[in-house]
Amino acid sequence: MHEAGIAGDLIATAEEHLRRAPHGAVRRLLIRIGELAGVNPESLDFAFECLSKGTGVEGARLEIERIPLTVACDACGARTPVVDYVFRCGACGADTVRVATGRELEFVSIDVDEPVEVGADAPH
Amino acid sequence: MHLIDVQSGLLATNDAVAAENRAMLAQRGIYAVNVMSAPGAGKTSLLERVLPLLAARWRVSVIEGDIVGRADAERLARLQLPVEQINTGGACHLDARMVHHAVHEVVHGPADVLVFENVGNLVCPAEFDLGEDDAVMLLSVTEGHDKPKKYPLMFRRAELLVLNKVDLLAMTDFSVEEAVAAARDVHPGLEVIRTSCRTGEGIAEVAAWVERRIAAKRARPAPRKAG
Repeated sequence: MHEAGIAGDLIATAEEHLRRAPHGAVRRLLIRIGELAGVNPESLDFAFECLSKGTGVEGARLEIERIPLTVACDACGARTPVVDYVFRCGACGADTVRVATGRELEFVSIDVDEPVEVGADAPH
Repeated sequence: MHLIDVQSGLLATNDAVAAENRAMLAQRGIYAVNVMSAPGAGKTSLLERVLPLLAARWRVSVIEGDIVGRADAERLARLQLPVEQINTGGACHLDARMVHHAVHEVVHGPADVLVFENVGNLVCPAEFDLGEDDAVMLLSVTEGHDKPKKYPLMFRRAELLVLNKVDLLAMTDFSVEEAVAAARDVHPGLEVIRTSCRTGEGIAEVAAWVERRIAAKRARPAPRKAG
């Protein structure tokens, strides 16, 4: 159970970016989690919902894109999906493969509304 | 509506501190190993057996991770080695920040080898780099041979799989063949050593494996001083 810590870091990173960019409402945070990553998306979503209250990202939706596990083969160069966690090339069968996708734990972007224009006659 | 580009790792904070830990250890030429397993697989028992063999040649320090308590640190302190206990206070793994201060102490004392004994857990520790050179994982035969496919990241990360409690094999339905095959599906070429901390089987092999890894680290060119 480390999703709460990750959600806390995610919120802190988001607030740091938001401080630098003028913006209106914060709509969505997009993150990517690979199939092999040791993070549970449901727990992360729940932790985000709890911890975002009272922060600059309260009310924003956490969108989690799952990335399938694939390997790149050093022998033949093919990129193939990993089935049943057998780390072998799906094309030539070699076991000299590297994880190409599936280890992601990335904070990609934040969707925000345009900043609200403050009229000249608005009170400051 | 517009998009703010972030492009950062969700574990960026941990990874940055782990890189600092690794650089500190590298500068002093200290070899670090992260020992991980499920609770009760025998991490502390293995260290009680292996560390005296290593301590005959190297100055060994231990950073001991547990949720609460000092029981394991007290067991290892009997070996007359410096042991730093870290209580994670509920967290299911050590992370780079938690061990940073202790690593700092180790690199400023006399040390050649640093052993992290992680919190017993097959999920979370796998995701948190501490700054180690190698990860060693234990699987005990009472846990069942199906574990590699259930916890693939852990088996993928480990450089050595220690198959512990082999003295109990006759009393279980554990298949060494199936366990090793599954572990090597997940991690082709993974080295496996069978051990029993009760009979002493395989203990010398584990110590020899660590010795080889220390030698390999020492043979690599020394890192430049971090700026």
